[in-house]
Amino acid sequence: MDNILVTDPMRVYRAKRDAARKRVTDKYSILGFISSGTYGRVYKAQSKDSDGRIHAIKKFKPDKEGDVITYTGISQSAIREIALNREISHENIVALKEVILEDKSIYMVFEYAEHDFLQVIHHHSQTLRSSITQPVLKSLTYQLLNGLLYLHDAHIIHRDLKPANILITSSGVVKIGDLGLARLIHQPLQPLHAGDKVVVTIWYRAPELLLGAKHYNKAVDIWAVGCVMAELASLRPIFKGEEAKLDSKKNVPFQKDQLLKIIEILGTPSERDWAKIKDLPEYQNMRRLDPFANRLAQWCQSRIQASGADLLSHLFAYDPDKRLTAAEALQHKWFQEGQLPTRNAFESLPSHQIPPHRRITIDDAPSMMPMPAAGSQVQAQVSQVQATAQAHLSHSHSNHSGKAGSAASFASISAGGGTHTRKKARLG
Amino acid sequence: MATNFWSSSHYKRWLVDRATLRQARSDDILYVDHPEHLGFLNIFFANLISKLGKKLQLRQRVIATATVFFRRFYVKNSYCETDPFIVIAACCYVAAKAEESPVHIKTVVSEARMLFVEEYGIKTFPSDNSKLAEMEFYLVDELECDLTVFHPYRTLMTLCGKEGGGSFPEAEAGEADADDFDGPRYWGTGEGKLELQEGALQMAWFIINDTYRSELCLLYPPHIIAIAAIYLTLVFHAPTRAAIQQAQAQAQPRASTSNSNSHPHGSSQSHSPTRRSSRSMKKPLPQHQHQPQDIVGFMAGLNVSMPLVATVAQEIIALYALWDRYSEEPNVGPAFVQKTTRKGRSAGKVQAQPPAQATAQEGQEGAPVTPMFLVQLLLAMREQRIEDMAHPASGRPVAVNKMLERTQAAG
Repeated sequence: MDNILVTDPMRVYRAKRDAARKRVTDKYSILGFISSGTYGRVYKAQSKDSDGRIHAIKKFKPDKEGDVITYTGISQSAIREIALNREISHENIVALKEVILEDKSIYMVFEYAEHDFLQVIHHHSQTLRSSITQPVLKSLTYQLLNGLLYLHDAHIIHRDLKPANILITSSGVVKIGDLGLARLIHQPLQPLHAGDKVVVTIWYRAPELLLGAKHYNKAVDIWAVGCVMAELASLRPIFKGEEAKLDSKKNVPFQKDQLLKIIEILGTPSERDWAKIKDLPEYQNMRRLDPFANRLAQWCQSRIQASGADLLSHLFAYDPDKRLTAAEALQHKWFQEGQLPTRNAFESLPSHQIPPHRRITIDDAPSMMPMPAAGSQVQAQVSQVQATAQAHLSHSHSNHSGKAGSAASFASISAGGGTHTRKKARLG
Repeated sequence: MATNFWSSSHYKRWLVDRATLRQARSDDILYVDHPEHLGFLNIFFANLISKLGKKLQLRQRVIATATVFFRRFYVKNSYCETDPFIVIAACCYVAAKAEESPVHIKTVVSEARMLFVEEYGIKTFPSDNSKLAEMEFYLVDELECDLTVFHPYRTLMTLCGKEGGGSFPEAEAGEADADDFDGPRYWGTGEGKLELQEGALQMAWFIINDTYRSELCLLYPPHIIAIAAIYLTLVFHAPTRAAIQQAQAQAQPRASTSNSNSHPHGSSQSHSPTRRSSRSMKKPLPQHQHQPQDIVGFMAGLNVSMPLVATVAQEIIALYALWDRYSEEPNVGPAFVQKTTRKGRSAGKVQAQPPAQATAQEGQEGAPVTPMFLVQLLLAMREQRIEDMAHPASGRPVAVNKMLERTQAAG
């Protein structure tokens, strides 16, 4: 009897808990594999409840020592995503149904979304070969801002908004996903830059971050919304720069190429536009770049209606303090005139133009969870599994920053920048 | 979410009633000689969390979050079936992450070992990181992934207009957060600030620290606890109390002619005499309108249940009475006595306490309860529990007897 108390004092407790715990496969049938990323894998699953609802289950990659899965501590990113998702609830944010902790792995069960912005962009550029219509563009942008307003009101900065992280349900409702890099900014115990050296995937990263600002705020998300809106309008990333890698000492380098891509369209920022720019660490580096004039209006001409272009220019204000807030952006005249934004963003589309359903793989899917019929409780190991999906993306998103900790969302292509291998998902 | 307590997991899922707490301790109480020992354990565990937190250089808010995690864990579990020490370490580890000030798991394991093994002789604490990580996993599950906790500190600092730092040394600085929400608050009008002297503010802060030695954080919303702490400060903090009494004496002659229209601090709800007398303050204090601030009026203007505040204040006082019979080391005692009055322990205490409490204390007997006693008690509880579980058929009535004995002794 003394033995247990000395060798493993929590054994009785664990046995009790393990016996009481419902397993993922008790509650859900796994329908197939959706995508993988740095964080782990996402599966499409059906609830075994009578409602038979469809879900996306995100399984965080378990930690391993050699081949043995072991406990090494839950990652900061998982803790964030779980903690934030448990507190929030909004139509335009992907809802977390439950979290299941089982066999050293964490499973987050989300509501299922059939599409995402990246997939819609691809559908238009590859299949339809036409741009996204203005009513759809307006509705997607509006709903995105609406979800962001909720997050910002709750003092949450998302810090990784990009097309792959913004989902759309089959009924055309936008759902912001992936809060793995998001955090609360209400009364932080440490300044934001102390926690994460690099935030936001490079193409969507705001100029104050590129210029090395130590303090930043919600405005970084607004910049990303501008980038996303422009990408929806043109079907390609508006500022598609090359990321300069961290040096051996993990110092963050000057992101010259990305900044140049921005300046080429928005012009060189002046102290008149942005008084505090001269205090930023990389200001002198920026001044060495060739000067450009602002040609955003010209860029927008063939792509976005006049007032939409006006909105975009205000989302792209260089000075974060002058950039629109989510609340202000929602009040913009573009959303009040002509065709109003709709709750079903696809409302105006003929059915053949609606993007196809998310492709899932079944036969060769990574079988880390027993496939539906299998009654076995044995969890196959991730290592046995390979993502077989392939991307057919014209512009590969694979050079999205891995270091940004960007846990790409359901359909996203995982980051290739880091040390991990590139895995691509097949998109329908 | 950060602004809306009423939609938080804290409010919706983690405020429990006394019956739930009794149920949570229903196994443990079988293995202690006196129910009070469970109260001493509450103090002991909170002290341990605080000590470990300080070794890990965690801020007070993180320590508070860890303590709340610990209390929540034991709403669902028994001391006699678990190892509270590994739970404490896991609570600190998770709280540091949840509050965005992570500590490496290696550091937590080594600091916890140093504390538990060397200072308390708890030899079972594992040296293996994966054991702590395993505990974290179970802990997060028990917490139902609700890792965002609201604390009274925030109410205190907001009410006192100190949000975003200020000169108060322990204040959680709001650095890098320029856009603070400044709308209506859930506990009051959002108008006006309470003007506490620095010493008084500090005392209120320390009283809040002390409340984590009890289960108050499971029973009451944090803003009620904060207001109860302010209320006790107004009574205990000698200069503040003197100022209130003085203001009250000055205002007395003018009371009949005064009206509530000229309040400088926006706290002028209707202060009709009837309403005031229904409040739970010890005696109705007439308001005053000039410097210093009408603190009593400010308190009355808060949109909270004053009977509830009074109840919490009573429970805090009861905690101090219990704590007084607990002895860790010379420098760990009720903070408001030790750190703020800077007087001898008993002198500060007697002065600060209402007469009823002071006399009750004189009646106490026996040596103070010590950590060593509690460590032994925990071990005995666990051994006994395992024995009972191992021989269920024999029905050894040891535990039942203890309960019977108590009942009989109580008459």
